[in-house]
Amino acid sequence: MSKYAMVIDQSRCIGCMACIVACKAENDVPPEMFRTRVMDITKGKFPKLRTEYRSELCNHCDDAQCVTACPTGASHNRDDGTVQIDRKKCVGCKACLAACPYDARYINHEHGYADKCTFCTHRVEKGLEPACVATCVGRSRIFGDLSDKNSEVSRLLAENEHRVLLKEAGTKPQVYYINRYPNHK
Amino acid sequence: MEVIITGANAITSPYLHIWDWRVAIYLFLGGLAAGCMVMSAIANLRPGKSVAPDDPCCWRVVILSPIILNIGMFFLFLDLEAKHNMLSFYTTLQPLSPMSWGSWILLLIFPAMIAYAFSVIPAENREVLRFKGLIKFAEQMGRHLRLLAKINFAFGIILGIYTGVLLSSFAARPLWNSSILPILFLNSALSTGAATMILMAHKNEVKLFFTKVDIWLIACEIVVIGLLFYGQYTSSAAARESIMPFFTMSHEYFPYFVSIIALSVIFPLAIVLKFSEMAGEHSETLSLRQKLEMNVSAILVLLGGAIIRFALVYAGQLSKFTGLS
Amino acid sequence: MAVNRRNFLKCAAFTVGGTALAGSPFVKATSLLAGKDIQHVPSFCEICFWKCGLIARVEDGKVVKLEGNPQNPQSRGKLCARGQGGIGLLYDKDRLKTPLIRTGERGDGKYKKVSWEEAYSYIAEKMNTIKEKYGPESMALFAHGTGGGYMANFIEAYGSPNECHPSYAQCKGAREVGFSLTFGSGPASSSERADMSKSKVIALFGTHLGENMHNSHVQDFTEGLGKGAKLIVIDPRFSTAASKASMWLPIKPGTDLALILAWTNIIISENLYDKEYIEKYAQGFDELKESVKGYSAAWAAEQTDLPEADILEAARELGRYKPNVVLHPGRHVSWYGDDTQRSRGIAILNALLGSWGREGGLYLAPKVKLAKLKKAHHHPEPEEDSITRGDYPFAYGGITTEVRDVTISGDPYPVKGWILIGTNLIKTLPSVPKTIEAIKKLDLLVSIDIMPTDTVMMSDVILPAATYLERHDELMVVKQKSAGVSIRQPVVKPMYDTKPPWLIAKELCNKMGLGKYVEYNTLEEKLRKLAALWEVDYKKLSEKGYIPLANTGHPYITKDNPPVFKTDSGKIELYSLALEDEDFDPVPKFTPPVEPPEGMFRLLYGRSPVHTFARTINNPRLWELKKTNEVWLNADMARQLGVGNGEKIALINQDGVKSEAGLAKVTERIRKDCVYMIHGFGATSKRLSRAYKNGIDDQQMITKYTVDPISGTSGMRVNFVKIVKEV
Ligand SMILES: Nc1nc2c(c(=O)[nH]1)N[C@H]1C(S)=C(S)[C@@H](COP(=O)(O)OP(=O)(O)OC[C@H]3O[C@@H](n4cnc5c(=O)[nH]c(N)nc54)[C@H](O)[C@@H]3O)O[C@H]1N2
Ligand SMILES: Nc1nc2c(c(=O)[nH]1)N[C@H]1C(S)=C(S)[C@@H](COP(=O)(O)OP(=O)(O)OC[C@H]3O[C@@H](n4cnc5c(=O)[nH]c(N)nc54)[C@H](O)[C@@H]3O)O[C@H]1N2
Ligand code: SF4
Ligand code: SF4
Ligand code: SF4
Ligand code: SF4
Ligand code: SF4
Ligand SMILES: [Mo]
Repeated sequence: MSKYAMVIDQSRCIGCMACIVACKAENDVPPEMFRTRVMDITKGKFPKLRTEYRSELCNHCDDAQCVTACPTGASHNRDDGTVQIDRKKCVGCKACLAACPYDARYINHEHGYADKCTFCTHRVEKGLEPACVATCVGRSRIFGDLSDKNSEVSRLLAENEHRVLLKEAGTKPQVYYINRYPNHK
Repeated sequence: MEVIITGANAITSPYLHIWDWRVAIYLFLGGLAAGCMVMSAIANLRPGKSVAPDDPCCWRVVILSPIILNIGMFFLFLDLEAKHNMLSFYTTLQPLSPMSWGSWILLLIFPAMIAYAFSVIPAENREVLRFKGLIKFAEQMGRHLRLLAKINFAFGIILGIYTGVLLSSFAARPLWNSSILPILFLNSALSTGAATMILMAHKNEVKLFFTKVDIWLIACEIVVIGLLFYGQYTSSAAARESIMPFFTMSHEYFPYFVSIIALSVIFPLAIVLKFSEMAGEHSETLSLRQKLEMNVSAILVLLGGAIIRFALVYAGQLSKFTGLS
Repeated sequence: MAVNRRNFLKCAAFTVGGTALAGSPFVKATSLLAGKDIQHVPSFCEICFWKCGLIARVEDGKVVKLEGNPQNPQSRGKLCARGQGGIGLLYDKDRLKTPLIRTGERGDGKYKKVSWEEAYSYIAEKMNTIKEKYGPESMALFAHGTGGGYMANFIEAYGSPNECHPSYAQCKGAREVGFSLTFGSGPASSSERADMSKSKVIALFGTHLGENMHNSHVQDFTEGLGKGAKLIVIDPRFSTAASKASMWLPIKPGTDLALILAWTNIIISENLYDKEYIEKYAQGFDELKESVKGYSAAWAAEQTDLPEADILEAARELGRYKPNVVLHPGRHVSWYGDDTQRSRGIAILNALLGSWGREGGLYLAPKVKLAKLKKAHHHPEPEEDSITRGDYPFAYGGITTEVRDVTISGDPYPVKGWILIGTNLIKTLPSVPKTIEAIKKLDLLVSIDIMPTDTVMMSDVILPAATYLERHDELMVVKQKSAGVSIRQPVVKPMYDTKPPWLIAKELCNKMGLGKYVEYNTLEEKLRKLAALWEVDYKKLSEKGYIPLANTGHPYITKDNPPVFKTDSGKIELYSLALEDEDFDPVPKFTPPVEPPEGMFRLLYGRSPVHTFARTINNPRLWELKKTNEVWLNADMARQLGVGNGEKIALINQDGVKSEAGLAKVTERIRKDCVYMIHGFGATSKRLSRAYKNGIDDQQMITKYTVDPISGTSGMRVNFVKIVKEV
């Protein structure tokens, strides 16, 4: 069985936001709501500065707190490693929003259900890359199957020092970050 | 540090705001109902002399509690974004989701509350039920009053704890994520329940009894609140951050600062009043002043309970895991 | 537009199979899908001028998604945020919907809806009177983007020689001149030819790639960085690119040429240059060596406010990794008025390091010889000379500011009518007051546009154009390492009462009895002819969207692929004979910029990755990502001024012009002597519901500009502002 994951190479993220716009069009996300965001974090003092670009989305956690909290089973872990929401079961109680340490969810106010990144399974099932990955101008977002040792994601994780966000939250995220900082002068 | 976020959702950024006064009221009324169940059970189960039949509180409060709970649940219902899917609460039981067993508990509690309510209707008043069937049902239940009281006592405790666990189960929200929270909520539930008894009781004997009970409960409550803040303060950085709103005198945090001040006035004041009630002669009928003191202190306790729910529901959403950015 | 049958059938099949396990939500979803008519239509983007190949997904006649065409090298399967957001332009409720004729005063926004016929008649009548009273040369065209050509044909047929383009004088003109003077041709056609994906060292002067979001260009950039290229970013602001750099040089604005000359000197005196290459291909080395020998690293450090050690190290890095290094030529180079010479300097450095025609350097233009369609009718010879070149000997493009000045002065002859297509002059040209003054002098101002922009709302006649997703346009010849042809074709039918620019031009020609100059009935008819002429299968082209042209790619110098330099000497001119003839410095010399007065900052500007100039601010899909701009202000200076981050401020420039109130971005990411903002905000047109009064307009503050004496382009970073708090 496949184990989908995303590897995000921050050193290649150019902060272009193409991922955000593509995601919204692909998944018909209502205005002013987002499934993915881009952080732009600068530390230091002029002229010794370091800016980190980091795109964030649902981490499709193995121990997903959103799933634990969901009273209806609408939020569930799928055996392909993704976390999905069954809109027909969702009552919009927002427990999952409270439970997600990554603030990865929102309420679709047009229909009332909770929503978030799906890893674009509807595309992946057709053999396509997720929309944000397909259009990632910096090739910063890489999607693939960790159960396949030759997949690019497996390779990247094997070859690079990597981390997950908020490890301490203990949700076993499946979005991994690698970052090779330039040696600033 | 300079942070720009592109593509943040208003509902989670800059901080969570998913739940508002509706949920706060639900938690308060849920607790109040729980307290009423427990305290009315105590009233009806008091060993030796049974004050039950001849003091109205012993049956009025019992009948009141399912109504209070219903109103509470109505506010919860108001908060649901996809009401049309309500049923899916009851097509599954999610063992680890407090909200899931919460919804089942509420379902089970009701029959017990109703039966209890019927059982306590004094024989001479059963006529008001008019319908034969109902009157008959009331008679039958009347025979099991003590059992039903015990069941409601248990359910009351569970309900009281549940209202707290609901929030404390969210690891992502440091202020809520404290094992003391359910205890605080239970404690507050009981004290508000006792307060209700005081308000409803006629016999000063009964009033005095629950005044004694309430003194202990409020004393505990003050300690537990202290423990909650102390626990947060001595815990992770995020947990420490989470109580800042209550101790920061600033425009944005003003309501929280005020709430903590209010609590630290209300509860001690209530206790003082209660002691002065206890002191002094007690004839069969209470003096007007005593009555007033008792009722005022009871109302203070209810107010305190409400403040606790509101403050924690809102402040909890300000608290988040550090390191996100 | 081929319906994608396979897709259609797949869905149908699903439902059939699905109904078996009825009730499951999955089946419902697909059966809904099954009804849909899904088409995938290739075309190319026009949200900016990189013109990436796109494939539009159209469901039941509605465009739902735009994706990059994998075949097209401009896109390589990807679109930038703006390209993705193109749907927002198509369905923007604020679009121009019908032709309009002004009823009130210019600028007070009173218009009446008219038919196309009425609009054409109005224009024809006015243009005829202008022709009679002043002559045809008194009409001028301002154009940017694919629509321009049709209108050019129109006014040339009418008899005017006056066409100008902001993409010359306010954009890349000086670069093209500077590089042409050196190598005999510019570094760009449809794309800058920086081979960054293979570079070992990349140096950027400004050129804020990542914010400047030309799609494949940024892909090459990140690819190069991914492979470990060293990046040197010269920028007074810690740009996105700077954050990726191995060396950030926060240069004092306006002193780039000092750095360039010092590097030239270091590279020569330390023998870091490509001797063989220079001997073989270059002319004037000794004169160059002689004239730069004074420019030491220490001197440059003085001028540029950069550490001497960094200047030296950077030069040596470039020398060490030559020739696989590129000093990017830049694109928007109209900075200070010395821009041709700065571009010359950059060109010379590239020459010294032998990067022209080398892997990782500036690759050679593809060799494409494509025949033109024979014309039965040639435009009349204009009686008067064009005014668009001013007296700038090396200007090769129409200078917008020249046309504007002549319109104001009436000398050498009056200019009484302007036609604008694809350009928002009030936002685009330096000195808004001059633009308004010129417009006031006009008898006729026609705008062909999509949105009711600031400039459009000054016009007498407004002609609503169909967007790039609703029309055909000329075939585009993509020129990267090899060449290919890309097609624009309607993805959906034009909405409202809008028309494609080619049709507008054709109908205008007919109206004015110039019909014979448009030698096709539909543009597609012409495209088919062209394709046939180029031996490109039109059907395949319209299905694939892009067809590569066989063996056009010879990007690097080899024995059998020697470089050709179309200079007077036939060689790389390190020492420019052409400039010498016109009494300009044959080798660039540095003159220090004027310093900002006490308490003032130099005003700098640039791009947002999610916006194109002013044109996308109102696009809901992009607006929601960047709703307003901020003024970047150095944190220490902010402290001195008592300005907090996100606080309200306004700018007052050296001429006392005060900006609208805006927000301060207090940051460590910029020098103390300048402030920075994103261009394009602060629309004054009420009809732009989202963009109106939104943010600060940099152009409003750019009342001053210095003209480059060689190319005639405008230096626009010569304005100073002070910051005042607002409430
Ligand atoms: N997203 C997006 N991308 C675009 C466009 C768009 O509208 N939106 N427009 C396209 C077009 S037409 C063009 S011409 C290009 C323009 O984009 P560029 O060619 O990259 O424009 P520049 O002015 O070189 O880059 C602006 C940078 O120059 C820095 N700068 C300012 N003054 C100086 C100076 O004196 N010296 C140095 N070394 N740096 C300085 C600024 O801090 C800023 O970071 O962008 C293209 N790409
Ligand atoms: N202050 C300042 N001035 C600048 C710059 C700067 O950075 N700062 N940048 C300079 C540079 S590099 C350039 S290239 C120029 C760009 O200058 P312009 O090209 O004038 O800039 P835009 O704002 O994109 O104006 C394009 C206009 O065309 C319209 N339009 C868009 N698509 C179409 C179409 O398909 N058909 C038609 N008919 N119209 C269309 C838009 O609605 C908009 O009104 O500005 C220059 N001026
Ligand atoms: S990131 Fe949040 S929403 Fe996504 S799986 Fe993890 S906990 Fe659930
Ligand atoms: S909002 Fe929906 S998905 Fe989230 S917890 Fe409630 S029912 Fe589950
Ligand atoms: S995977 Fe799909 S849903 Fe998730 S962020 Fe990317 S585009 Fe959006
Ligand atoms: S598309 Fe890729 S490069 Fe662009 S912002 Fe998103 S993650 Fe970063
Ligand atoms: S770079 Fe972006 S906006 Fe420009 S043409 Fe390509 S996709 Fe369109
Ligand atoms: Mo430009």
